[in-house]
Amino acid sequence: MLNEIIEEYYSSLFDTDYVGALAVIHNAKKEGVTPEEIVFEIVIPSIDRMLQSFLLNQEASISQHFLASKISEQIVDEMLPLFQQKTEKNGNIVLGTSFGDFHGLGRKIVSGCLRANLYNVIDLGLNVNPQKFIEEAINNDAQIIGISSMMVHSAVGENGCLKVKELLKEKKLTDKIKVIVGGAPYRFDKELYKKVDADGWAENAIQSIKLVGEIIEELK
Amino acid sequence: MNSMERFVSLMQGKLPDRVPVICNLLDQGAKELNMSIEEYYSKGENVAEGQIKLINKFGYDIAWGTFYIGYLAKILGSKKMIFSETGPPNVGNLIIKDYKDIEKLIIPDNLEENQNIIELVKCIKILKTEFEGKRHILSAVLSSFSLPSILMGMENYFNLIYTGPKDLLNLLLEKSSLYCEKLTHILRKSGVDFIAYISSLSTVDIITLKQFKELALPWIKKDIQRIGTADVVFFNGGGRINPTIDTLIKETGLMVYYINPKDSVKEAKQIIDGRALLIGTINDIGLLSWSKEEIESEVKRIMEEGSLGGGFIFGTLVMPYLIPEEKIKIMLEAAYKYGRY
Repeated sequence: MLNEIIEEYYSSLFDTDYVGALAVIHNAKKEGVTPEEIVFEIVIPSIDRMLQSFLLNQEASISQHFLASKISEQIVDEMLPLFQQKTEKNGNIVLGTSFGDFHGLGRKIVSGCLRANLYNVIDLGLNVNPQKFIEEAINNDAQIIGISSMMVHSAVGENGCLKVKELLKEKKLTDKIKVIVGGAPYRFDKELYKKVDADGWAENAIQSIKLVGEIIEELK
Repeated sequence: MNSMERFVSLMQGKLPDRVPVICNLLDQGAKELNMSIEEYYSKGENVAEGQIKLINKFGYDIAWGTFYIGYLAKILGSKKMIFSETGPPNVGNLIIKDYKDIEKLIIPDNLEENQNIIELVKCIKILKTEFEGKRHILSAVLSSFSLPSILMGMENYFNLIYTGPKDLLNLLLEKSSLYCEKLTHILRKSGVDFIAYISSLSTVDIITLKQFKELALPWIKKDIQRIGTADVVFFNGGGRINPTIDTLIKETGLMVYYINPKDSVKEAKQIIDGRALLIGTINDIGLLSWSKEEIESEVKRIMEEGSLGGGFIFGTLVMPYLIPEEKIKIMLEAAYKYGRY
């Protein structure tokens, strides 16, 4: 039965069928599938499977990422309080859109995907100044700062990732806190993340899960 | 042959002396006038003067009579634009904060009296006088399916599309289509020769091909029925359009397609197959880091793939403000050199 539910859910997720995906999960719960199974057997593996599919066809759209993130986050938020035992979070991540940039969709998608994968995400919103990234990362014991940029000047400008890294170096925190970036400019120039001194970049939200997982593993 | 003759020749199905070049230098006009980007965009005269200086300096073939994308929201009442010293302004105040605001949104009958429109028209008229008989003037409108992203933000718009009330979505798109029509009419009346119909939200980087056909295409068709096809360029606006071009040609009859750098020029030529003109684009974000040799080689490749058999124009996409002037010159000189049919 679980396999059928997984297939039905994945199909709705892939087709950006918000109502259909939620209905599959709610019916599954009524039929006795546990909240733990829903999260660990259905929701998280489906995101991973989407990543594999996107890597193969290179045809993923932002709407697919958006809906996958929104649906997954919503289900995980609904299921977590129902777990038999409290679940440990996989890590703490401070996310924000770079200073001078008011485009929030990409960050929101990444945030939802990471939360659905049981990371604790502190979302600082739009137009975040470099000092704020550092303060929040320290206050929340974050392993990663994620900076999203839609525009070239906010990605490479002096108040973007470059400044965040400079402040981390001043505070001798570069071994403890890593900085990752994402957004349109990085997709057009795949070496750009190096120029802004980031420790890594992800092409999309689903790949960011893999990147975050690898970095947190290295930091352990 | 001057720039205008080059385009006319191409539109008549002939081969001009070289491939015409479109270069999207917008905010760079402020640098030419030694003023901030905010001051630059405050007056139509400034923008016109900046564009004239840019064309005189670089020599590309068409004049942009437009401001910035967020300006289209400002015209409709967005109260705050966030200006940067090194890039395009952002919309800092969303007109539609919740669904109720969709009903309140008004596309004024007397749009021509709007102060922001007056400045835009002033700019276009100055450019028209300056370039009469020498260069065409290109301006821009947003497609009805794309406009809501700058009125309510992408996240809210996606929520409206996928989980919101359908009647309100349709109402918003209808108002957006009406705005597209009215603005196009004003631009034409002011002397604009070509309209870039920017359809960023219908690209396959934003929505799936299935969603393009079901959600976006009906509204694109409605817009095009309202504004016609004669002078309209289908502009990608930031995402790939190759998978949609065949459908667009069949369903709308549009005759010019401005593809994204991530669209293959070779593939676009095959899809179009002589049915329309193609504007192939360079990945201009690459200009920030590429060497002279890399820029020249990329321009050469695009020209070789696109120019075969004619019907081809060379273009850029966003042209970030931070690209050094020297690199712009290298790209354009290469385009003039290699742009032979």
